[in-house]
Amino acid sequence: MRLISLGFLFLLLAGVTAAAVTVEVGENTGLRTWQWVHEGVSLRLVQRLPDQTRAYLLGRGFPAAAADEAATSCFFGTMFRNDGTVPLDFDLTTWKVVQKGKETRMFVREHWKTNLQENAIPKAARIALHWSLMPTQQHFEPGDYNWGMMVFGLPPGQSFDLHMQLKLDENPLAVTISGLQCAPEKLN
Amino acid sequence: MTALPDKPFVPDFTLKDVEGNTHRISDYKGHVIIVNFWATWCPPCREEMPSMQRAWEQLREEGIMMLAIDVGEDEDTVFEFTASYPVEFPLLLDTDSSVSEAWKVKGLPTTFVIDQWGRKVYRAIGGREWDDPELLNQVRRLKQVP
Repeated sequence: MRLISLGFLFLLLAGVTAAAVTVEVGENTGLRTWQWVHEGVSLRLVQRLPDQTRAYLLGRGFPAAAADEAATSCFFGTMFRNDGTVPLDFDLTTWKVVQKGKETRMFVREHWKTNLQENAIPKAARIALHWSLMPTQQHFEPGDYNWGMMVFGLPPGQSFDLHMQLKLDENPLAVTISGLQCAPEKLN
Repeated sequence: MTALPDKPFVPDFTLKDVEGNTHRISDYKGHVIIVNFWATWCPPCREEMPSMQRAWEQLREEGIMMLAIDVGEDEDTVFEFTASYPVEFPLLLDTDSSVSEAWKVKGLPTTFVIDQWGRKVYRAIGGREWDDPELLNQVRRLKQVP
């Protein structure tokens, strides 16, 4: 995807760690991408329109109502990479979504497993969503990476801060990405 | 690829490929095997498929096996995929993802290299250029272990 850089680089203070976050807007899509980089480790978050997620879920066998409900939960396409020199560990259940001072948690694989079983979503559809989400816990040696969707449980268009906890070579690292925004229902 | 120091034995499985043939991992004991877990919707999985085919063209003559296990999709989806990405190594179907879970796969793609004794010796999370000479030699060296 060709991107136009908005040309601003944020240095955010999170605990004792400076996080470099770039924000770009897709020239053709109008969707925003945030990328955090630290010592070769990077997380890229790309907005997904609710319609994109609706289409994906319907294509995988979700009933329309369930696809619609899920699609308006703030999905991002993400890529987590370890191009650094030491192992990386993360656990998404420790991450916090903060909006207007209110703290919530991400909708990780286990959230969907419970929620979708209770709502009698077909097994094939549940399996498809499970594998397309970023793993809840992961250990990356240098050179490893994953793609996967992350879900922040907020309505379309909402802004929030993401407080991440990572371990680099077993050393804790706290990072905040401020001003993330769920894709709106429609782009202007 | 990351070397796995504890070299755990792999759980056996019985899976069908897209042509309806049955494969058991235990059938390949005595061979070095590359086992790739993937799905058609996964961009890095698609990206590494051509390099896996090129690697397979070199390795199959040397007695090294390659299996790609699709996670959670049906035969029609995978068959359609092969029209755009023709490969000659077996494409197995783990439709309920039970094998992927037993093998402790968390994200796709994940690839393991299995030694002659059925132990996981290397793991790669995310795509790789599988015909990279250095990577191929890492795999070949396993054959030389007595």
